[in-house]
Amino acid sequence: MESFRLSATELLKYQPNRYPFLMIDVVEDVLPGKYARGYKNLTMNEWYFPQHFPDGPNMPGALQLEALAQMLTVAITTQEGLQGKITHALEHKVRFRKEVVPGDKFEIHTEVLSWRRGVCKGKGVGITNGEVACEAVMLITIPEILEQYLPKR
Amino acid sequence: MSNREKYDNAFIESFEIKKEALNKGLEYQSIPQWDSVGHMSLVAALEDTFDIMMEMDDIVDFGSYETGIGTLKKYGVDVA
Repeated sequence: MESFRLSATELLKYQPNRYPFLMIDVVEDVLPGKYARGYKNLTMNEWYFPQHFPDGPNMPGALQLEALAQMLTVAITTQEGLQGKITHALEHKVRFRKEVVPGDKFEIHTEVLSWRRGVCKGKGVGITNGEVACEAVMLITIPEILEQYLPKR
Repeated sequence: MSNREKYDNAFIESFEIKKEALNKGLEYQSIPQWDSVGHMSLVAALEDTFDIMMEMDDIVDFGSYETGIGTLKKYGVDVA
């Protein structure tokens, strides 16, 4: 299979989050089951900047991590039969390295390390101005697949 | 290392528990570590350890430390 691009509207087929919680603008390159890369352009109009913080607007770390997890989701939900499936976070380990501020292009690179029985382990990096802003190892799941493998109680 | 020791180590390392915790009462969701994620970690550890690939029904039936011994026997792994 070849990689492909998802526009802002095409992305919506594979990523169930919506405004104001969709943290991706475009997926520039996705190879289903392997990787997804794209970006979010940040303007002063982002809903969180007025509160976080009035004197020094910057993108909350939790939302940076969310952006990485959403992009990793796209790498999974673009696989056959998984379009539009809901994913849940299981476990994330993240490191923040610099502030992400209005005017930045937040580039998001994610890679699938393993995908098995509804559980995906992956890693992601957020980049602004050519420098790493955050990086994470993530565990996400498609619950409706995972639940098929759990003992009944 | 015997199969029993390998089997025990899969539990000990997946759930970060002590050997004393391995008994008949150890079941899915009987300890916080053996949740849905823990279950998948345990299955993956056992598959890697014994070089097997478990079927869905067997993963579902693998509900306790005791029943797991019978499950592995189906794959030619004698733990008893």
